Amino acid sequence: MKRKVSGKVIASALTTTLLVTALTGCTFGFASDPDDPNEVAKEVPIDTSVDSFQYDSSLAGTSITLLNSKAEIQVALEKMSAAYEEKSGVHVEVMPVTDGDSPYTKVVSLYNSGNPPTLAILDTTDVIALAEEKAADLSGEPWTAQAEEYLTEVNGKVYCFPLCIEGRGIIYNKAVIENALGRAFDPASVRTQDEFVALLEELKAAGISRPVSMAKEDWSLGAHHLQYIYELYDGTTPGGQQKIEEIKAGTLDLESYGRLQEFLNMFDILKAYNVAQGDPLGADYDEMAIDLADGKTAFWFNGNWAWPNLAEAGAEETDEYGFLPYFMNNDETDFANSQIQASPSKQVMVDRIVASDNQQAAAKEFLNWIVFSEIGQQMLVRTCNVIPPFHNNPYEPADPLSADIYARVQSGGAFNASVIVPNDHWAVLGAAMQKYLADRSDRSELIRTIEDYWAQQN
Amino acid sequence: MKSKQKGKDFCMFGLPGMICFFAVVIVPFLYGVYLTLTDWDGVASTKNFIGFRNFVGVVKDSQFWSSLLLTFEYVIVVVLLVNVLAFAIAYLLTRGIKGQNFFRAGFFTPNLIGGIVLGYIWQFVFSRAFVSIGESTGWSLFGISWLSTPGKAFAALVLVTVWQLSGYMILIYVAGFMGLSEDVMEAASIDGASGWTQMTHIIMPLMMSSITICLFLTLSRAFMVYDVNLSLTAGGPYGTTEMAAMHVYEKAFTSRQFGVGQAEALILFIVVALISGLQVYFTKKQEVEA
Amino acid sequence: MKQTTVGGTKRKLTNTLAIAALVIIFIAYMFPFLMVVINSLKQKRDIIKDPFSWLFTIKGLSFDNFVKAFVQMDFLNAFKNSLFVTVSATVLVTLLASMLAYYIVRNKNRVSDLTFALMVASMIIPFQAIMIPLVSIYGGTLNVLNHRLTLIFMHTGFSMAMSVFMFHGFIKGNIPIALEEASCIDGCTHMQTFFLIVFPLLKPIISTMVILNSLAFWNDFLLPSLVLTDKKLLTLPLSTYSFYGTYSADYGTIMAGLLLCVLPILVLYVALQKQIIGGVVAGAVK
Repeated sequence: MKRKVSGKVIASALTTTLLVTALTGCTFGFASDPDDPNEVAKEVPIDTSVDSFQYDSSLAGTSITLLNSKAEIQVALEKMSAAYEEKSGVHVEVMPVTDGDSPYTKVVSLYNSGNPPTLAILDTTDVIALAEEKAADLSGEPWTAQAEEYLTEVNGKVYCFPLCIEGRGIIYNKAVIENALGRAFDPASVRTQDEFVALLEELKAAGISRPVSMAKEDWSLGAHHLQYIYELYDGTTPGGQQKIEEIKAGTLDLESYGRLQEFLNMFDILKAYNVAQGDPLGADYDEMAIDLADGKTAFWFNGNWAWPNLAEAGAEETDEYGFLPYFMNNDETDFANSQIQASPSKQVMVDRIVASDNQQAAAKEFLNWIVFSEIGQQMLVRTCNVIPPFHNNPYEPADPLSADIYARVQSGGAFNASVIVPNDHWAVLGAAMQKYLADRSDRSELIRTIEDYWAQQN
Repeated sequence: MKSKQKGKDFCMFGLPGMICFFAVVIVPFLYGVYLTLTDWDGVASTKNFIGFRNFVGVVKDSQFWSSLLLTFEYVIVVVLLVNVLAFAIAYLLTRGIKGQNFFRAGFFTPNLIGGIVLGYIWQFVFSRAFVSIGESTGWSLFGISWLSTPGKAFAALVLVTVWQLSGYMILIYVAGFMGLSEDVMEAASIDGASGWTQMTHIIMPLMMSSITICLFLTLSRAFMVYDVNLSLTAGGPYGTTEMAAMHVYEKAFTSRQFGVGQAEALILFIVVALISGLQVYFTKKQEVEA
Repeated sequence: MKQTTVGGTKRKLTNTLAIAALVIIFIAYMFPFLMVVINSLKQKRDIIKDPFSWLFTIKGLSFDNFVKAFVQMDFLNAFKNSLFVTVSATVLVTLLASMLAYYIVRNKNRVSDLTFALMVASMIIPFQAIMIPLVSIYGGTLNVLNHRLTLIFMHTGFSMAMSVFMFHGFIKGNIPIALEEASCIDGCTHMQTFFLIVFPLLKPIISTMVILNSLAFWNDFLLPSLVLTDKKLLTLPLSTYSFYGTYSADYGTIMAGLLLCVLPILVLYVALQKQIIGGVVAGAVK
């Protein structure tokens, strides 16, 4: 009976496969839509004719692994590793962090299984947690000179490679604003909180009654909104870190901390003009991209990582999108009202525990190849479509959001304050922010929650 | 001679399955229990014995206890609804209704949708379908997304779990009904017993072993709820629907307190073991021995 | 089924009512699945903007998602892996669990009691609690991860408790010991008794467990993701990883991929339905 059943299973499964293959293999008349927004893959060809990078031929034949936690560049990384393998003979296997796993959980389970990745792309907090225990010291690597201001140090040593810069702020759709107002719009003309409110009112009068989208997700509220209270202290990493220490120690009274009140003022403004004001916690992330692209809204609080969503929603690279700062007050000279936050977001570490000397050398060569070879430089920007933190990379990102961040980084319109908060900061305080967003708590309750959270970290 | 035969039986019938089970489940579990007594963080190369300090951390974690309380409420509602519904549907599906095979397959399909898709589809239903019903009818019940208010988000969680689990339980109840002798069913109808007495006096007692199994399965699954919790509400709005299993996972990997998370998992296990142990004990007593 | 022949008009009326109720509940049950089917044929923008729109109103309805899912998943290879793992583990667990359950029912001793109690208790161990210990034992110490056989072994081990529990209940309730005693007199060995007499009688529960176990193995994500990292070995659910992004997911392709994954299981279920019905043991329990 057993055999009969499994025979039947195989038979029916095979039939199904054949059927599905036949079905999908068939081209239906309407299968390919020329305006298909899913087909974003308009790729810029990579010029491989020039390559002055010095490969270490003794490493050829080495095989290393790369754990990727940035799912949207999985395919791009595979292409990049193939290009590198062709030149160097080093095989880089790109492993994805799959749905349902956090990158940290994945890397922990891989270390426990005795099979850790040679290279791992992780968030900064993850790398700091693993650095001294597992990571190779990269302080002496040549690329460190090209990204000095973006290096993360743990006790004076560099353990990780900054893969890309990401920035966030209030994304605007210029065409929507200009169409509504019937005049040209210069983002630089908005310099203070009051001027921003005036613009919102003007849009409201022009028919866009609620021009702002804001995500309800805890990572957006807990990390991207709330962390402004540390980062905007003076726009530097040490400054933000110092404020955190003061909050932890209880020496900084949050009730009277100016940046917190200013932040909440701005948050309240966004709240008041939120397109989902009737049900802010029912807002849908994917719909926000469509709303902004279609002109139902004019602003979306988010970062340059939102571009693929906007592109899927129908935005073109030639459209004018960009960032406004998170206006904190009405002082035009306050850097917070003119600059936006841009800092390295994903870091690459090299394993020193299990990886052999050859593998570690190959991993380090791969990182240098990304920074110094003509092919690596192009692929980082054009194939992966990220903003490179390295000074020597001459390529500019193509999409308007990344291009705006890139231009701001070059011209001093961005600040870099990468404060390190505990890993559950976004989750715990994100929930508190959700409550505030839904008007289920007031300022003093929110502030108390923040204070309690930090008190527990001692 | 006889004991030799017994030993042989044990080796042939019992041992292979037992080895598999012990190697995969029990040994890692015991190792996990040992880890709760150390300061290991999942990464460090050394493990220091720290006694019960992780359990002190559990006692202090008030979030854990409130999530456990919420899980209790959830389990009670889910277990009742799932079993009543699944029992009734399975009964109907073994009455010889036309197309019952088609129906059985249909009720089973919810099981086939898992992970992020499950959460996404139901988010549609709660935040769009319900809201558009609300807009056209003006019913305040559907005015805003169910997922944005704590009470309704909890109800949504229950609804989706019932939808998903009952398909599974229908399958087991159907197998149970199929195992009943037709004579029993026929005799019951011929005796002129009314539907309800037939159900409570003849069918229910004979179905007790299926009921035991289904109660146990729903109980343990509801206590362990993680996937649906994560993909539907992710604990929101503002952390009000975070169940115990999700809290344990978050504690170990998001808050990076591996030892405390592991200890909470152990406590969750003990709680569920006690409750389902009691349940099995009491329902077993009701079973009719064949 | 013959029960419907018993009873008169009253029975017919209740039956009609029951069917009506059933149909209504059925539609509610199928609704989300239907949404997956419909949306798998749409483009992402239409899925988000108009998830409920009926097929013929959608412009750009296409099988593109299926083609994309098929290619990106490396479907045939992943299908082969899934099939090998699922079939092997299902056969293994069906055999081992039915034998172990039979042993426990027929041999009341301390070892069998303890094993059964442990198995019941183990069904409520949260998987998260043994995840890390599991990989450190099998990866760190034994170094046997990244083999399909390891995954088959683990699937078997994890489903053993539940399967034994189910077989145990069925054997205890439905298999009279008198049958075996009769075969003993005929001079059968215990092995022969089990495979010739008992095993065929287990058909309904075997069909049920084959469905439940193969579904669990086929769709499982977490365990295979811990055991298999080599791309050539990935099973179907693992191979859909590339459809998920950090901030957004490719819903159309995910749904198409999901349908491609579950179709074989649906076919299996429909096929086994007949087994469950054909194998009713009612006659043997007289």
